Amino acid sequence: MFSIGGVSTRIYKERLQAEGMGANDLAIKFLNQDYEELRRECVESGRLFEDPCFPAVPQSLGFKELAPNSSKTRGVKWIRPTELSENPQFIVGGATRTDICQGALGDCWLLAAIASLTLNDKLLHRVVPHGQSFTNEYAGIFHFQFWQFGEWVDIVIDDRLPVKDKELMFVHSAEGNEFWSALLEKAYAKLNGSYEALSGGSTTEGFEDFTGGVAEMYELRSAPKDLHRIIAKALERGSLLGCSIDITSAFDMEAVTFKKLVKGHAYSVTALREVNFRGNRERLIRIRNPWGQVEWTGAWSDNSSEWNGIDPSEREELNNHMEDGEFWMSFQEFKRQFSRLEICNLTPDALSDDSQHFWNTIQFNGTWRKGSTAGGCRNNPNTFWINPQYKITLLEEDDDPEDNEVACTFMVALMQKDRRRFRKQGQDMHTIGFALYEFLGSQNVHLKKDFFLRHSSCARSETFINLREVSTRLRLPPGEYLIVPSTFEPGKEADFVLRVFTEKQSETQEMDDEISFNLEDEEAVSEENIDASFKKMFAQLSGEDMEISVHELRTILNRVMTKHRDLKTDGFSLESCRCMINLMDKDGSARLGIVEFQILWNKIRKWLGVFRQFDLDKSGTMSSYEMRLAVESAGFKLNNKLHQILVARYSDGDVIDFDNFVCCLVKLEAMFKSFKELEKEGSGVAELNISEVSHFLLSK
Amino acid sequence: MFMTKIIKGLVDVVSNIDQFVPSDPPPPKRPLAYASHNETDEERQFRKVFQQLAGDDMEVSPKELMTILNKIISKHGDLKTDGFSIESCRSMVAVMDSDSTGKLGFEEFNYLWNNIKRWQAIYKKYDADQSGVIGSDELPGAFKAAGFPLNDQLFQLIVRRYSDEMGNMDFDNYIGCLVRLDAMCRAFKTLDKDNNGTIKVDIQEWLQLTMYS
Repeated sequence: MFSIGGVSTRIYKERLQAEGMGANDLAIKFLNQDYEELRRECVESGRLFEDPCFPAVPQSLGFKELAPNSSKTRGVKWIRPTELSENPQFIVGGATRTDICQGALGDCWLLAAIASLTLNDKLLHRVVPHGQSFTNEYAGIFHFQFWQFGEWVDIVIDDRLPVKDKELMFVHSAEGNEFWSALLEKAYAKLNGSYEALSGGSTTEGFEDFTGGVAEMYELRSAPKDLHRIIAKALERGSLLGCSIDITSAFDMEAVTFKKLVKGHAYSVTALREVNFRGNRERLIRIRNPWGQVEWTGAWSDNSSEWNGIDPSEREELNNHMEDGEFWMSFQEFKRQFSRLEICNLTPDALSDDSQHFWNTIQFNGTWRKGSTAGGCRNNPNTFWINPQYKITLLEEDDDPEDNEVACTFMVALMQKDRRRFRKQGQDMHTIGFALYEFLGSQNVHLKKDFFLRHSSCARSETFINLREVSTRLRLPPGEYLIVPSTFEPGKEADFVLRVFTEKQSETQEMDDEISFNLEDEEAVSEENIDASFKKMFAQLSGEDMEISVHELRTILNRVMTKHRDLKTDGFSLESCRCMINLMDKDGSARLGIVEFQILWNKIRKWLGVFRQFDLDKSGTMSSYEMRLAVESAGFKLNNKLHQILVARYSDGDVIDFDNFVCCLVKLEAMFKSFKELEKEGSGVAELNISEVSHFLLSK
Repeated sequence: MFMTKIIKGLVDVVSNIDQFVPSDPPPPKRPLAYASHNETDEERQFRKVFQQLAGDDMEVSPKELMTILNKIISKHGDLKTDGFSIESCRSMVAVMDSDSTGKLGFEEFNYLWNNIKRWQAIYKKYDADQSGVIGSDELPGAFKAAGFPLNDQLFQLIVRRYSDEMGNMDFDNYIGCLVRLDAMCRAFKTLDKDNNGTIKVDIQEWLQLTMYS
């Protein structure tokens, strides 16, 4: 999650991830709060838990409409369920319809997802761990687990809930004494920073955070031709399917249509069936209203006459007359009556039976950083290529007898991370999307601008949109493809998760350069090889001691810079020169001898040529996004993460000037060489103690 | 060749990180509700000033950091300094920034600022001759008081890198050095979780640590 403390903190987190932290059975402790430990402390001390990380204060409610001192939050108190109800329960008889009634918050999207969760006990208890109650060693502490951008996270909360006029402000149960849903909502609010951060969203977002799956949304008025097949396969896989009827105004919310369908309400799809109806095949779909009441009264409803037109044994199997919220309707009627279908395709991240047919899932974590990897969409030809790139190899075509097209079905889902958390600062979702290109190369290197100028995309996300996730189902012939995720505009910074789901096996990998340094270019310099004119110049510059000091080096370099008026620079700083001397100086004298100076001089001249080559507009500075090419031209191959670091460290806004460029390369070369020396016999790993770390981090 | 020689020398004399006492690790980034509820009045005022300088994204670039810091130290006439250089500020941002944006958020800045204040007090105390700079004879005491006792090799390393030719260290270099030394110790502890005195890194990790510092 959020971490500060520099690169080492990120490296450590990446190591933990590689070891499985965040996986299904090893949830990350949000803000380092350990539920079992905290609970034990409270039970032993006899004090009820009070959460310092999500305190019972106005700021936890919101920042705008729910800001401190707003009309909506005036008079709010934070009260425990044990004080609200004489007999509070966590979950009674499993989760039911009356457990989820909406409160004052516009988070119906979340409640719809919670409602869907109640249909599957395994999924529910993945999110709501067993064993929590208000009786057995109650300590005022609860925990829930959510999937967050590829990892499971365990959130601990206290049970003080916002109450106004003696009623829960937000989600509540109809009976008023069941609290799991209100507490779950609190945990989710904590995860996102406040209750108000939950206002406005898509049910698919909730689906995904509760299951780790990938959600798709279909508008039923323009449904794909193969919608029935999609639903059938989804049910076969144990996916969650939700459907709803759009509302046109707030007044419509949960209004009931004349045939008893509820608008703005989350239904679930639970089955498909085909029956013989008066000599014709009729496709039926079974819908469940999580409320348990208010069933459809049109064709194929519990008491409709259509049931008389099918075989009695079939009728007996399919139809029941209970008002249990479950009903059948024809598939055609379904498409007419409902507005939207949401499918949450489960992945191995959801606990489920092995017999289910999961999508094969591959996931990448990536970042967009201004100047180095945030290239914007295809409309930005100069920078589009700097976006992260991934290769997918589709190996097997679908086995689908209905279709004679040789194609592979797969889904690409691009999700931006943590954006809901930035809402208080006025930021929100970026507009994101991706493009696919047919790829015929054999190397896994980061492709450059030319590739994208010469090739059009063969597929793309349906639209660039400012949702948390953009997902698109695609069918392409077996082959190799390149996926390029991006924000619409260049320079927008975010972290993302790219997931690829295939029906059949596939191979996917990041297209990024391997880290390497071209050591063969190293020029052997000895004093005998230095020409006389250079020696003469050196003697003149260095004075009697025949060594160049920091100040002298700066004088020399800035004098050279003034002769190159085309280079825009503030001049080499004393700091930069000190850095160069320390990196080149091999005898610890803090000065450069003639050999050291000649080597440095040769490098600077070479790098000047590189710099000019990539200062395309002759502005005197290099655009940050050209840094990758320049560094590569200078002999260093680095990957996306390292390029992000170089741009963050050495650029000024969108540009890099020559002295920073030189400093960067001097240091880069020194660090590559140091690693070579420290590396254990080509193992790719260096082991260092504190002295060695001191030496490199302090002196360079 | 020479580098290897130096390394071997260092190994013999600094074998244990425990003699260093760096700052406490930065606290986890708290939800905003917690931050604003628990602030002192001084902190709230500080946040407002920060926001004015940083703008809506609540993050400062090295240039903005330089402006803020130099504005602050210009009010301390007894510090002999030309102000913080852009290079020092880049380095300060780098050692705190874990997501490569090249900027510091408020909490990171606050953490950095609290350290600077603490080290500034030590600076004034150990500038015994009131020269406005730390001389080479004053240096070991100052660094020890900051939690970093120096042996001879480390002392020479630091003097060579951060002091001028007369052996004097000005405030900019003093803070720049301590920021890095402090960050280095915390980084080492972060990566040496089994506490055996060494860390292992691959080439990518090595470059991440050394190039962004």
